[in-house]
Amino acid sequence: MNLHNQLDPLSRRAFCERWASAALGVTVLHGLGGSAFAAEAAKAAATSGPGFGKAKNVIFLQMIGGMTHIDTLDPKEGPTQGPKAPIKTKADFQLGGTMENLAKQADKFSIIRSMTSKTGVHAAGQYVIRTGYEERGTIKHPNIGAWAQHFLGSSHKTLPSNVCVNRQPQNGNGFFPSSFSPLPILDPDVGLQYAKSEVAPEQMNKRIAMLDQLDAGFRDRFKTSEVKSYTQFYDKTISIMSSTDLEAFHLDDEPEALKEKYGKGKFGQGCLLARRLVEKGIRYIEVAKGGWDMHNNIDDGLDEHGAELDQALAALLEDLKERGLLESTLVVLCSEFGRGPKINGNGGRDHHPKVFSTLLAGGGIKGGYIHGASDKEGMAVADKQTSPQDFLSTIGWSLGLPVDEVVMSPSNRPFTVGDKGKAVMELFA
Amino acid sequence: MKTRFCLPLACALLVTGLQADNEVYRTWTDSQGRKLEATFRGIENGNVFLQIRNGYVYRLSLDKLSAADQQAAKTLKPEGLGIPSDPNLAQAAAQIDMLVEAGLKKAEQKPNPLASDEQFVRRVFLDLAGRIPTREEALEFINDTSLSKRAKVIDRLLESEGYRSHLFNYFADMLRMADVAQKARFYTYQDWLKKQIGENVPWNKLVYSMMTADGKLLENGATGYLLRDAGMRLDNLSLTLSTFIGANVSCAQCHDHPFADWTQRQFFEMAAFFGATETYGAKGNAGAGMQGMRKVLASLGDKKLQQQAKNLLRVNALAVEDSSTNDLKLPDDYKYPDAKPGDLVTPKLITWSDDKTKKAYQGVQTTKHDEQLREQFAKWMTSPDNPRFAMTIANRMWKHMFGIGVKEPVADLDDPNASSNPALLHHLANEMVRLKFDLKQFLRVLCNTDTYQREATSHELADNSAYLFPGPILRRMTAEQAWDSCATLVVGADVDKFKGHRGETYAKAMSIDLSGEASPDVIKGQIENAIASMRQFGGKAAGTPKNKKKRMMNQGGEEDLTLAPPVRDGMVLARASELPQPEKDQHFLRMFGQSDRQIADSESEEGSIPQVLMLMNGEAQRVIGQNDSLVVKTASAQKTPEQQVESLYLSFFSRKPKPDELASATAGLSNGMTMRDLTWVLFNTREFIFVE
Repeated sequence: MNLHNQLDPLSRRAFCERWASAALGVTVLHGLGGSAFAAEAAKAAATSGPGFGKAKNVIFLQMIGGMTHIDTLDPKEGPTQGPKAPIKTKADFQLGGTMENLAKQADKFSIIRSMTSKTGVHAAGQYVIRTGYEERGTIKHPNIGAWAQHFLGSSHKTLPSNVCVNRQPQNGNGFFPSSFSPLPILDPDVGLQYAKSEVAPEQMNKRIAMLDQLDAGFRDRFKTSEVKSYTQFYDKTISIMSSTDLEAFHLDDEPEALKEKYGKGKFGQGCLLARRLVEKGIRYIEVAKGGWDMHNNIDDGLDEHGAELDQALAALLEDLKERGLLESTLVVLCSEFGRGPKINGNGGRDHHPKVFSTLLAGGGIKGGYIHGASDKEGMAVADKQTSPQDFLSTIGWSLGLPVDEVVMSPSNRPFTVGDKGKAVMELFA
Repeated sequence: MKTRFCLPLACALLVTGLQADNEVYRTWTDSQGRKLEATFRGIENGNVFLQIRNGYVYRLSLDKLSAADQQAAKTLKPEGLGIPSDPNLAQAAAQIDMLVEAGLKKAEQKPNPLASDEQFVRRVFLDLAGRIPTREEALEFINDTSLSKRAKVIDRLLESEGYRSHLFNYFADMLRMADVAQKARFYTYQDWLKKQIGENVPWNKLVYSMMTADGKLLENGATGYLLRDAGMRLDNLSLTLSTFIGANVSCAQCHDHPFADWTQRQFFEMAAFFGATETYGAKGNAGAGMQGMRKVLASLGDKKLQQQAKNLLRVNALAVEDSSTNDLKLPDDYKYPDAKPGDLVTPKLITWSDDKTKKAYQGVQTTKHDEQLREQFAKWMTSPDNPRFAMTIANRMWKHMFGIGVKEPVADLDDPNASSNPALLHHLANEMVRLKFDLKQFLRVLCNTDTYQREATSHELADNSAYLFPGPILRRMTAEQAWDSCATLVVGADVDKFKGHRGETYAKAMSIDLSGEASPDVIKGQIENAIASMRQFGGKAAGTPKNKKKRMMNQGGEEDLTLAPPVRDGMVLARASELPQPEKDQHFLRMFGQSDRQIADSESEEGSIPQVLMLMNGEAQRVIGQNDSLVVKTASAQKTPEQQVESLYLSFFSRKPKPDELASATAGLSNGMTMRDLTWVLFNTREFIFVE
């Protein structure tokens, strides 16, 4: 039996008990009886359709700081254009001048050019694009990875189902148990923090045997779910430490040429790590990349960060395709907002949530397709307005999640995947 | 002491008719022939302690008793948990026990056995002082033969530095205290709260201060509560109502509450009490001073300097001010027929259906002066007659000690009768009022109850059935308790010495006089000075500036721990309350569940794989097991391996090892395991991280 499926109900029960033990029989976190059952029910109940459930994994590339859509995914001419002239691609649309490698992969992805958001504040915008909800002082909302774990159960018998690379695990499990929280990999070259023991395996085994012996009395006396849950976390961690599963985090096992193809920066290596994790069966991986808050000198910014994104994303799509993983892996590229049409006095662009772009590939998504449009200047949405909620519902749909199903939080408030957004069906082949 | 046969407490209404029935009563007679039916609690220093059925404990001089009873007092085995520090306290504790026992009896449950000294001392240190006792502190208690030792250790811990630190941690989670908010540092707010706790300011006064605070954050830390959510007064109010009076209104911020009685209209009527409160940029500062500032700003050539100066101004502009008109309007999407979107809202207090007396509402009349709206609200909310204010904090403090509230969740007291023991909940609220919101006194009562001093419940709590408190529940340590306990293992009780006091330093560094008196040159000088001192707060400010490290030796060459805490392997070994709030994500505290201070009451007690990896392989286990760690030094100084193991057990668990544990551990030591291995093992046990 999947160990994770044993753990989660336990820790969840601890979570619910604290508040529910005195309340009178109110059911919380609907569907939490057991992830496996929930997965069955979700599969049965959801209406299927084009693309539904095609994705088994999601690689969520989050550009931090507000990626300029005009210089990347939605190039313009005239005064809006900026320092780099648009370039042709393999498909019948253009990309920003820095996206040379991505242009060659244009037959593999779709772009939404009609995204719009209500906030121009970084943290608030990132929160919305990850969770679909506005940030509140009274509740935390889950990301898609946590929603997926709720509906589909764990994706791996030992490793977590939800990983985030190059960032801290905030905006993760939301109101779900902390076992749904993304496992943070702060530096892809280093891998999982504290995974290595400071002493030789033989010494560690002695320690673990002694631990088992000396703690036995306490464990016998207190057979509560909290104590059992900790014991299981220890068992699981010890098995991870000694298992080959941790190899998923070892980038050194990748050929040097491939590492260079992705780009040796943290983002390139993060994308490569994401692919390794997908191969290992980890469902949801977010890779973050900063540097996009280009208020000054956007020309230099693009040379550095635009090029890094271009190289890594193109390599990722090509690599996934070659390995036959692209059909079952949804890759999305997004940012908290775009940047304005006007080049400011410092040669940069300022925050622009009114219209921006996202990219989707794999997981049943069409190749070479543009959805919606911004107006001529890149100022506002011209066609097929799409919200962060629609975007997240699309991801949920691709993963086969029941996006309409209402889940009650422990505080008894109703929530859905992507806050009642509508999946963009035109994106699916 | 004069013998009185009357109820000394006014507040015993609820427990009339209830009697503790698990004790042995006998009739005592004094030398004048007066009789008293009481249970024998013990004899100390020539005084006999007798507890009557309502819980009151008489202290009688032995020689005042009849000869037969003098003999009895010398031979009888004392009942209960030793002798309390004062008779009223004993009675207050006994009344709680009776209510708990009545609840248990009704459900045909039995209370847990009384906890051993070892269990008790570790628990009471963790619950009151926020850390485990050192080996010496544990031994001192265990070896103390006096009958009043439990009461005494409670009294001592309530006066300790750890008490202030631990209660601060609780409120910091509840109030979402973060170093950084609104792009400023909220150190003065933290220092203010610590000072209130240190001075044991009554809870109603403390909350009243937060609700009504005026002025700059830099000058008045109490403004931090409203400024934490500057510009978001609806969110702030929602939290105020749920945190302090358990009104579960968060839904009503956007629409009528689907399950409870609250309407969106009511929510806005409450919010209107803050409709004339300005938290978004200090308006009063828009005068001559601010204009002078702008000129000075423009004259700063360097862009970076200009930016720093702007930040400085923003920090100085963070203030709470009252305007003369309430401008709160209904939201644009207001959809109910009783009013239109955008209508101005008249302030109106909410009422609960079970609140028959409405005493709290008397004397609160809607003023014509909008600038006094906040005071009206605060007066009503913190009134002893408010039907929820005392109950909410009483229930929270109960949870703080027992691990679970009488009513859960603690932020929803809309229906007190849905609690596990409504009579107990009402009694605790009355006690809070009787004790005039003195939290220390309230906690003293709770800790002196038999209920608190029983063994922790060892069986699984049944789903959805009320917990009736046969004893405290088994709890995992909070992140702060675990961290402070680790630091205690390494440096001992000295860990309590260091205090950050960052508020004062920060305010001094950042304050600029915007009164308009100062000339542009003077202002410019102020800005430059402030920018120079801003640097120490620039990055993620640690508990102590690193450059102070050299100065932390005093003349004797010893570390002066009041100035700077010890640092081992990059870990600053100060109490969690003196470290950054919250700590950075990869710190032990956060990995162990410290709240990120974004959501109220969101400290987590759950495990995770990264957390267990950290416990097994991270810095904490290393620093605890190193030779310069106190726990290792103390154990190494013992002569035999048996004594060494015993020393470690006392340090980690406040108890001696059982024979089989002693045998296993000493066998390990002779089989190639080191002291460091053993500290690793004990640190990674469930027994270490759980509180019995």
